[in-house]
Amino acid sequence: MLAGGGAFSAIIVVFIIWYYFSPSYTDAGYMPDQPVKYSHKLHAGDLGIDCRYCHTSVEEAASARVPPTQTCMNCHTILGTDNEKLLPVRESYATGQPIEWVRIHNIPDYAYFDHSAHINAGVGCQSCHGDIHQMDVVRQVEPLSMEWCLTCHRDPAPHIRPLDQVTNMNWTPGKDHDEYVRRFMEEHDISAPITDCSGCHR
Amino acid sequence: MKRKLDSKGKEYWRSQNQLANDPKFVEQLKREFPEGASQLDNSWSRRSFIGMMGASLALAGLASCRRPKEKIVPYVNAPEEITPGVAQHYATAMPWGDDAFGLLVESHEGRPTKIEGNPLHPSGNGAASIWAQAEILQMYDPDRSTKVLNKGGERKWSDFVDFWRERSAGLKESKGKGLAVISEPFASPTIARLKKDLLKTYPEARWVTYEPVSNSNVFQGCNLATGEPARPRYDMSKASVVVSFDCDFLFDEADAVRHARDFTQGRNIETEADNMNRLYVLESRFTSTGAMADHRMRVRSSRMLEYLSALAAYLEDNDINKLMALIGRDDLSSDERTWLKAVAKDLVANKGKSLILVGRQYAPELHALAMRINQALGNFNETVTIVELTDTEISNVESLKGLTRDMSSGVISDVVILGANPVYDAPSDFKLASALAKVTNRIHLGLHENETAARCIWHVPQTHFLEAWSDTRYADGTLSVTQPLIEPLHGGKSAVELLALLATDKDTSGFSLVQESWKEILGTRDFEKNWRRVLHDGVYREKPAKKLRPRKFDHKYLSNSLASLSEAVSGDLELVLYPDAKVYDGRYANNGWLQELPDQTTKLTWDNAALMSPATAEKLGIENEDVVEVSTSFSSITIAAWTVPGMADGTIAVSLGYGREFGRIASGTGANAYKLLTTETGMIVPNVTVNRTGRKYALANVQDHGSMEGRPIIRESSLEGYRAHPEFARDMVHHPPLKSLWKEHSYEEGYQWGMAIDLNSCIGCNACTIACQSENNIPVIGREEVSMGREMHWIRVDRYFNGGVDDPAMVHQPVACQHCENAPCEQVCPVAATVHDSEGLNTMVYNRCIGTRYCANNCPYKVRRFNFFAYTGEYAETLKMAQNPDVTVRSRGVMEKCTYCLQRINRAKISAKNEGRTVKDGEIVTACQQTCPTQAIVFGNINDPESQVSKVKQRNRNYEMLSELNIKPRTSYLAKLRNPNPELVTTPVEHDEDHG
Repeated sequence: MLAGGGAFSAIIVVFIIWYYFSPSYTDAGYMPDQPVKYSHKLHAGDLGIDCRYCHTSVEEAASARVPPTQTCMNCHTILGTDNEKLLPVRESYATGQPIEWVRIHNIPDYAYFDHSAHINAGVGCQSCHGDIHQMDVVRQVEPLSMEWCLTCHRDPAPHIRPLDQVTNMNWTPGKDHDEYVRRFMEEHDISAPITDCSGCHR
Repeated sequence: MKRKLDSKGKEYWRSQNQLANDPKFVEQLKREFPEGASQLDNSWSRRSFIGMMGASLALAGLASCRRPKEKIVPYVNAPEEITPGVAQHYATAMPWGDDAFGLLVESHEGRPTKIEGNPLHPSGNGAASIWAQAEILQMYDPDRSTKVLNKGGERKWSDFVDFWRERSAGLKESKGKGLAVISEPFASPTIARLKKDLLKTYPEARWVTYEPVSNSNVFQGCNLATGEPARPRYDMSKASVVVSFDCDFLFDEADAVRHARDFTQGRNIETEADNMNRLYVLESRFTSTGAMADHRMRVRSSRMLEYLSALAAYLEDNDINKLMALIGRDDLSSDERTWLKAVAKDLVANKGKSLILVGRQYAPELHALAMRINQALGNFNETVTIVELTDTEISNVESLKGLTRDMSSGVISDVVILGANPVYDAPSDFKLASALAKVTNRIHLGLHENETAARCIWHVPQTHFLEAWSDTRYADGTLSVTQPLIEPLHGGKSAVELLALLATDKDTSGFSLVQESWKEILGTRDFEKNWRRVLHDGVYREKPAKKLRPRKFDHKYLSNSLASLSEAVSGDLELVLYPDAKVYDGRYANNGWLQELPDQTTKLTWDNAALMSPATAEKLGIENEDVVEVSTSFSSITIAAWTVPGMADGTIAVSLGYGREFGRIASGTGANAYKLLTTETGMIVPNVTVNRTGRKYALANVQDHGSMEGRPIIRESSLEGYRAHPEFARDMVHHPPLKSLWKEHSYEEGYQWGMAIDLNSCIGCNACTIACQSENNIPVIGREEVSMGREMHWIRVDRYFNGGVDDPAMVHQPVACQHCENAPCEQVCPVAATVHDSEGLNTMVYNRCIGTRYCANNCPYKVRRFNFFAYTGEYAETLKMAQNPDVTVRSRGVMEKCTYCLQRINRAKISAKNEGRTVKDGEIVTACQQTCPTQAIVFGNINDPESQVSKVKQRNRNYEMLSELNIKPRTSYLAKLRNPNPELVTTPVEHDEDHG
């Protein structure tokens, strides 16, 4: 009886360890506290500010970039000047000490993701970041595992939209979307995105 | 050693061990790593390590399962020009003695990571030497000095400023009597201006310029020819015949990078109809230049003048003959006479298209004579020009000698040492350290707390040239601003700033000092605009350096001094001191990249050695790695011995720069050969004795690592042979039709990457290895690890000898991963960690790798590198800053190898795609290709018949190494050619004496 129980708990332990180290265990749902209670819902959703107002380099660089304090202060020198939530922002601006945001979407150091390659291929922000315009606190929606990446790389069509709709959070595919995607992929030579290891690992 | 060449299959050999089929070599050939290399080290077996791991895992428990919190720290005010993740390039210039290199430095968010040559700067046209590239590590060196010191105690810069202001009042009263400055040579408008200012404030002060390895003999040779010290400039691209008298003009002499480019342009053979220049080399050591020679003669350095004057006499030029008659000494053998006569004939046939060069270690008179010969051959203003030295201060050992005398007699009260390290590298007969001790105020500015710093009262940390403002003037007159890429890592002051304080008592910023000089150069009108242009381009061509006309040579004077020189006798053995092929004069002794770089001739790493020819070693009863005592009439050193085939008999060569007293990397490597340097003898020391001490010292030599024995790896022919049989390279291997065991992939679509390396251009300078190390975050592993065969270089430069052991030829071959289409490594990886991609790259997936090392065992080229330890794990903070963020930093247990600079391929592909176009030919330049001084490496899309690489691969010299294995490598080589003088070609005597 005892031996059986021991074996059972050993199996449980093995299973837990196996699960933790396996690719099935991902960071999806990760929602850490941030130093500033910044709401994407308010800014990107309700106010409708384009993603690229802050994430300026998303179209031309690997990193979309987290905006400098200065970008916040473009508006907040006028708006919400006594808002307590903005205190760390004002402090940062006054002292020159950067705000230390907690990284949410984190891929391993040996994988190299490039925002610009995806944006220019018509992949919407939503495809990876989810409905970020409805999030008061940002959380990771997708698993960001290699399997997840490859699913799209093997069949990108469902995630492709017109280039001018990439940052539109309320975009829905039209009736002729399938035909559009076919043409788009042909024109932009993205019928088969890279699935080679070398595409991301260097 | 006794065994001569086996003419079949072993025509090319790497070491005498290989020639002799020594058991040690055979083991290395079969095992790649020596016995025990898979053990962690002597005391820790693998088993005990796993035990340790278990323990630490138990301690860590599951707490480490979640990823650590990572922070994103954006700018507060973002600089407009920086996009995070996108590298920027800034032009700057590096001082190099009395000369300069133009550089382009890659920077990631304000963190310089890689140095390349500035394509607009004439010093390298985009290429850079090993030394220029390794400066990045020099700046991040964790052993750099970080504080202002006074008698060893920490002070502030302001304390020093106060000290100086107080001191200068007294010095001004005496007009600077008793003040001396010891500076490195420079070519800089700002430093030249500040020097003038200093001497205006202190008219009685002494200025001494010293560098142990310098061009001053060459400049003084020009002095004999033109009446003032001046600089000769050579245009190798116009030279059809070059004769080098022990001048390593392709590697370590002034302007070597530019010379290498120009010289190999004359060897860029597209078809058998092309012509090729010809190089004759007379030398005592075996240098890169000697390896490129079409005819090479081993000559003792002390006899170089005899050969030079004999050649002069054979030119049958009336004036020169008169000159030679005055020298009249000639002990040459009849073979040597025939050789020199043929060279003379070749020179006369190529008047105006030839060039005579003499190494800078030789007396000025030899340079004057060479110049006289060049003049007689009509080479002036064709292949040679002499230009004025502007803003330039050249090394003068005599003035250092005078100063040392005055220091010991107490005449000098204050000495300021600007960057130089004379305690270590001045001729040892000066006894500079004890003279320096008699000076009251000793001030040292330097990158390291080195030998000189330790003997000074004040030490001020110097800024690296990537951290501070300065400027340079290159030999042809091109001006550049040295612009900093980063705030000084450890505070520190530049030579410019310290000099300004000395001259004016004012603590002025380097930026305003340099701008002040440039306001004079550019004029105040539109200054800001022009200044920005200069910073952007990295070059400003004010006016070319003024050409000087050689006046009529004073034959009488020249012949008299030559005659007195030629009387010197050197005894049975002579010592040749030379700047090391890695650490140079010692300035790079604490640079791991350079310490670990195999010397192109000896393949030694981490140490210098007493080099000698096999015959000399045999005569002295010395074997490799015997510790010997090398004694001159002045002093002696103990050092390990190493034989080098092809060296002149009776010559012992020891490189400078080792045996240091500072630095975690520098100390404990090699022996200090400066102890044997005296003013009387210079670099060529007669009458030395070499005695065995009975001890042995294990040198980390890589010459037998990665051997691919018994196969036509190197393919070579004479130009004549090539013309008679243009397809010789391909026809060297015959094999049955190749059939694959597997269904072969087709690589006919899209980009297909490939590389071609022209062995006819490769000079073996190692620049590619350092470029790759910098670009790809390749770790330094240390002497013991290298001895185990664990070196990590992704591109190595193999060195082969060809011919008898006494007088062989040398060939270099860069070898990196060949990206085989049927890659043997992929077939044996149990976890698919190395796989092919659709563009023909053999990729390495680090996080899949479990470290079986099967792939390395199965690689016929032996190019795979394994991280036996976490070599990158304990990097100092500054070294972390030197890493390229676009390349994964590998950890323990992972295999790695050349990726064809995948990060550069991906960058180009993504930007092409974003712009809706395809990658243009030449858009992707691998790191090795970028820096290659001779453009021997070409990379590109072999699926595009119009690409440069496709065209090069279509040349008939193209061959693939080991293609008979049907592995279809993507890297191919172009066979090497030599262009011997038909008059000197004798039917080679087959080496059939000692077969069996």
